Amino acid sequence: MEKRKPVFLQIYTLLFFIYIFLPIIIIFIFAWNNNEGYNFPLSGFTWKWFTELFNDSIAKKAMLNSILIAFISATISTILGTALAFGILNSSLKNKGLFLGLLILPVLMPSLTIGIAVLVFFRTLSIPLGIPSVILSHVSISMSYVVLILLGRIEGFSGNIQEAAVDLGASWFSSIKDIILPVLMPAMLAGWVFSFMISWNEFIVTYFLIGNNVTIPVYIFSQLRFGISPKVNVISVLVTSFTVIMVILYILIKASLSRIKNAKLLKS
Amino acid sequence: MSQLLKNNKKLIYPGFLWFLFFFIFPLTVILVYAFIDNFLRSGTDVNFTFDNFLIIFQRKHYLLLLGRSIRISLITTFFSIAFAYPIAYFLAKKTKYDKILIVALMIPFWVNYLIRTFAWKLIISENGIINKILTSLNIIDEPLRILYTEFAVILGLIYTHTPMMILPLYATISRIDNSLLEAALDLGASKSRAFFDIILRLSLTGIFAGTVLVFIPVLGSFAIPAILGGTDSMMIGNIIESQFIEVGNWNFGSAFTLTLALISLAMIFIYSKFFGLQSIYKNQEI
Repeated sequence: MEKRKPVFLQIYTLLFFIYIFLPIIIIFIFAWNNNEGYNFPLSGFTWKWFTELFNDSIAKKAMLNSILIAFISATISTILGTALAFGILNSSLKNKGLFLGLLILPVLMPSLTIGIAVLVFFRTLSIPLGIPSVILSHVSISMSYVVLILLGRIEGFSGNIQEAAVDLGASWFSSIKDIILPVLMPAMLAGWVFSFMISWNEFIVTYFLIGNNVTIPVYIFSQLRFGISPKVNVISVLVTSFTVIMVILYILIKASLSRIKNAKLLKS
Repeated sequence: MSQLLKNNKKLIYPGFLWFLFFFIFPLTVILVYAFIDNFLRSGTDVNFTFDNFLIIFQRKHYLLLLGRSIRISLITTFFSIAFAYPIAYFLAKKTKYDKILIVALMIPFWVNYLIRTFAWKLIISENGIINKILTSLNIIDEPLRILYTEFAVILGLIYTHTPMMILPLYATISRIDNSLLEAALDLGASKSRAFFDIILRLSLTGIFAGTVLVFIPVLGSFAIPAILGGTDSMMIGNIIESQFIEVGNWNFGSAFTLTLALISLAMIFIYSKFFGLQSIYKNQEI
């Protein structure tokens, strides 16, 4: 339509990408900088902040806790979320829209309100704070994301295959285990990675519910509040690298999902 | 066949019970605390009261804080629309590499926002990068005081939330049929007229979806103002945190939390009345 090249937009996009990436690059640079002050010119290359971080027992604990919490929450929320999404779409449930609207509230509400509400709820019931409490709350948030991811997948195939299987004599349990689960497995994997990331990055709810324990975001926050050391850069580098690997994994799973979809469309 | 559907319905229960216990019930407890004057199960008398809300709206300090939080959120939302729109438009209409560029944009978005906020602290601090560059170029003599101001908070909030605006905008703009624009131009509309009357108007859904996705979390943010802001740039989230962590006034804290929750719910409700909630999550590309 327009023959002229959108030069302005291209330059703007380039600048925007620099704006988005530059702060992260700066974090990386100072993880290997010899001097403790954050200033240019750089004062030499060093690994000492890495050894300092690995000698920091709180930081190590934070990493282990973060992985543990994210792994368990992602697993529970994938199972519950998949069952929810399939159950809502393929049952006699009335008011499906209202139900779904309610279920995506944790995605849309400020996490602060969720964190405070669960804190007050647990304290009132004298439920102790700590890792289990964090997991209980993370699941109720990431489950919503799993439902959203699975909905698109489940809408794609009709419940007819399940009906057909049951008509042909399969039990309900076997129709779920042998027919539905294999079809949903790739989407469930995507949901798992996504909720792992949600839980892994989650700060506010964790901050209120973790008690005197610690996760990576809580560790970073406490470091940022009280003076900063290049150790924070190192943990940021590690966390960011891990995050990027997970995001790429997620994108690959999603890409293979849409390939499966396209292949099916071609066949039919 | 209804037996099958009944069995499927049972799949809903575990997840829904979890949701009920660890999302709905806690919000209900906040609702109760906001309207009483003491701890539940404290053993003493607990009375119904409106005082917790009256304090918010009667004390100048809290009104200022509420006003500032809403102002910061509005400014952040406005600038994230302004920054995101050209990108979304470029990705949707002017390049064939949009898929890969979206992925590239989303990767920093997934980097923990505390880390990205930390980066801004390094950039804008008194002997940070911006001040170093400006002083060495002799543009300024004394370092600018950017960190610990409201401006710094807004800078950090815009930086961390703009990507959330890009996705819904990109999704709605790419759905706009190019032939509409061609028709308008053929019929003699100027380029800017065609842009405003067609592209901008048809992407309003995306703007509103993005507004919900940016305004609500910004209004409830507490980490970014705590890291980049000073005492005179605190937001609702910081007051709520201090009520629960330092002061221990749960009733007043709950009233503030409920106010925040109600503003968010009202926005979500109004949006879903007009556009349907699906349009928010369908645009998220998750």
